[in-house]
Amino acid sequence: MSDQNTTVLPEGIDRKEFDKALEKFRALLGEANVLAQADQLMPYNKVMMSVENAAHAPSAALTATTVEQVQGVVRICNEHKIPVWTISTGRNFGYGSAAPVKRGQVILDLKKMNRILKVDADMCYALVEPGVTYGQLYDYIEKNNLPLMLSFSAPSAIAGPLGNTMDRGVGYTPYGEHFMMQCGMEVVMANGEVYRTGMGGVKGSNTWQIFKWGYGPTLDGMFTQANYGITTKMGFWLMPKPPVFKPFEVIFEDETDIAEIVEMLRPLRISGTIPNSVVIANILWEAGSGNVRRSQYTTEPGHTPDSVLKQIQKDTGMGAWNLYAALYGTQEQVDVNWKIVTDAFKKLGKGRIVTQEKAGDTQPFKYRAELMSGVPNLQEFGLYNWRGGGGSMWFAPVSEARGSECEKQARLAKRVLHKHGLDYVAEFIVAPRDMHHVIDVLFDRTKEEERQRADACFGELLDEFEKEGYAVYRVNTRFQERVAQSYGTVKRNVEHAIKRALDPNNILAPGRSGIDLDKYDGNS
Amino acid sequence: MPRPSRNKNAIRLMLAGVLPLACASAAYAQEQSQWGSGKNLYEKVCGHCHAPEVGVGTVLAGRDLPEAYVRSIVRNGFNAMPSFPASYIDDESIAQVTEYLSTLPAPAAQP
Repeated sequence: MSDQNTTVLPEGIDRKEFDKALEKFRALLGEANVLAQADQLMPYNKVMMSVENAAHAPSAALTATTVEQVQGVVRICNEHKIPVWTISTGRNFGYGSAAPVKRGQVILDLKKMNRILKVDADMCYALVEPGVTYGQLYDYIEKNNLPLMLSFSAPSAIAGPLGNTMDRGVGYTPYGEHFMMQCGMEVVMANGEVYRTGMGGVKGSNTWQIFKWGYGPTLDGMFTQANYGITTKMGFWLMPKPPVFKPFEVIFEDETDIAEIVEMLRPLRISGTIPNSVVIANILWEAGSGNVRRSQYTTEPGHTPDSVLKQIQKDTGMGAWNLYAALYGTQEQVDVNWKIVTDAFKKLGKGRIVTQEKAGDTQPFKYRAELMSGVPNLQEFGLYNWRGGGGSMWFAPVSEARGSECEKQARLAKRVLHKHGLDYVAEFIVAPRDMHHVIDVLFDRTKEEERQRADACFGELLDEFEKEGYAVYRVNTRFQERVAQSYGTVKRNVEHAIKRALDPNNILAPGRSGIDLDKYDGNS
Repeated sequence: MPRPSRNKNAIRLMLAGVLPLACASAAYAQEQSQWGSGKNLYEKVCGHCHAPEVGVGTVLAGRDLPEAYVRSIVRNGFNAMPSFPASYIDDESIAQVTEYLSTLPAPAAQP
């Protein structure tokens, strides 16, 4: 084939060698499943990061639909040393989207491998392939009238459980810690072997989605946020649909309230009184997801002044902090816990409680209630309109769920963001003990100067937080090597020893989470 | 006209119910269109942002947008809007959704 319409090649691979590999991919997958022309690859190259597209341009994309095809792909990759970047639904916005961590990698796109293999309504679990979306699962559950509920990230309908869980993403129901609720995984290893975790290796087993650990080392975690295998099936537990769902919001007026909010909330989360992943969204997150745009208030350069934030609060009734949580269970259970919750807020002496009856169909309450009950919507993409222009990176440090810590992180983030003329747009996703402090670094990517500021800003956020002993739980592909450094050399040495053992040819997504046999020198 | 999606869904459900772990026939899947109809694609994907009551993306209904334009935006993405590869939304589905959008009434002008 000499019709290649792209000059992008994998690192260290010449055109001739690459064409040989493409020929083999075509023989394996068929012409239509090997994409090597620029216009076919364009959709995989849309990124929201603070670099030019070329830095993450793929050399080709392959679509596979069976485990045997995935095995064939790794065989060819080993033969020609082709690095492959695997995506499931590829909706990893703000973390690199569908584009490879390094320019020139071949994308293995598993979107079309999309069978819902099993949903068990008695044992409450699902087993799915990589291309299954939450929207697809939601429709399946609805059509079959199954008494089950999903948990998902805000991109819900178009995202999927396998891809999200491989990056250890989170949702907003009591099953919001997705990796924690995952059970059973099938992985194609770099040598082509098909490995099933947990009880999956036992012949005739019916407990793959029932008991997580299996016997001996339990390796599911080792495959998440890693490049040790290609996950082709994943099981996870589903929450039974409760008889009563009671979402509510508590609105706080002052930015300084955050410390008291968190201290009040923690015992309620640790005791399980409030069982879901609560969010505490700041004013600009609330405004963005409520379709307020910065341009409606100001066109001044730099960060949005605090006076404008106050004005938005005044105009919309939104708070400096907006807490969304829910209760689940029978009416009696919900009533008992509602009293405990309202008593706690009364004792605090601040916070305006909004019930579903009061909120009605208004946004952002509606979309929050939907996310907390597993109903998909994309309302939160309004965040990308705050400044517009397609620039967004998640800066998501882990924090103790301790008021003083959250206040300190918020102050630190705001200072760095403002220094670079950007806004503090954030929420805390609240577990009993930890916070995913999720900050959307939003910028206009069409403006070169602003893009560079955002890039510097993100680097400085990482640096400044690291000085205080903080690190992020997940990051976009541009900064994956940088963040690996936050966690220390010993960890990286171990990760590379495992990589050498399982993928000696370094074909699986080198660079993923900073794991790359060609680049890591053992010193950083 | 796209074939009605009702029958296909019924068959898909039956397969899923009867043969949970068996392959839901790759050959069978290939003969269906990817999203069934333009209406379905709009409801399951595009409309989550572009429906007038959502307001994340601009309203598309009743604007007679040309298919080539829709395809270009979907494939390239456009600023805040993500792109979709053909594995997610194929060309046939883009043609169907373009046609479907043109059959919808334009929303009333806002005061």
